[in-house]
Amino acid sequence: MSVEVALFYGLSFLIIYFGLGVLMNPNPIKAAFNLVLTMVGVAGVFFHLQAGFLGGVQLAVYAGAVMVLFVMVLMLFDLEKERDAFSEGFLGNALKLISVGLVVSLVINSVLLSSDLQSAKGPGATVVKDAEITKKLADLIFTEYIFAFEILGVLLLLVAIGAVAISRIKGGTHANS
Amino acid sequence: MLTVDFMNVGLNHYLVLSAILFVIGMLTVLLRRNLIVMLMGIELMLNAVNITFVAFSHFNQMVNGQVMVFFVMTIAAAEAAVGLAICVSIFKRFKEVNIALFENLRG
Repeated sequence: MSVEVALFYGLSFLIIYFGLGVLMNPNPIKAAFNLVLTMVGVAGVFFHLQAGFLGGVQLAVYAGAVMVLFVMVLMLFDLEKERDAFSEGFLGNALKLISVGLVVSLVINSVLLSSDLQSAKGPGATVVKDAEITKKLADLIFTEYIFAFEILGVLLLLVAIGAVAISRIKGGTHANS
Repeated sequence: MLTVDFMNVGLNHYLVLSAILFVIGMLTVLLRRNLIVMLMGIELMLNAVNITFVAFSHFNQMVNGQVMVFFVMTIAAAEAAVGLAICVSIFKRFKEVNIALFENLRG
């Protein structure tokens, strides 16, 4: 078994194990920490796929900023009263599990049966440097996708203002009740 | 015919990993009742899609997929910020963030 294959399976195990940790853990704080480790595993997959820039952004934005947001909001709340961690109803949950199982089996089957995907062999002999890919990425963002990039900036500004406005609402939607 | 090659890691392996991670996120959204944990499930689903994008971009030697991942990450951060702001305002009103309370969100 080569190093690459071992790395892939190790990262997959990490991602799935901690992803299940997010799903199973009744304590939201522990679920958040499991989510951090899942994000680190996904960043490892990005590095493994020669997307070094995205791996770095993943670590900084997700494992850093978004998780700090989640943990701080969790710390604001009173965790002692945590109840009903999972939704109730045997039949409803069974239906949810069955439908989700159908989705994943359909996706995996179609992936494994498609011959087009089998033929994609990857870079192979031509080793591309990480820095070149990052340079190409920057070229694309600032030429072909410049309009989307600018719109994204406006969207982030709107979201920043909106988040402050929402959390400053006094009394909620029906303050009289 | 289904033949699975476990030793040569190719595009298929990454797609299957992504499908499994997506389903874990979907189950988190469907089965949990805490709103913040449901938001975490959405993050898991977005990450699964990101793995698909990066895998396709790697195996087809096109960088365009990575640009999409960049955009998806930004949208995810924005969505988390708005979702958590709604959580905070719900918590200020009801002192709890259970999803059952969201039927009271009438305007």
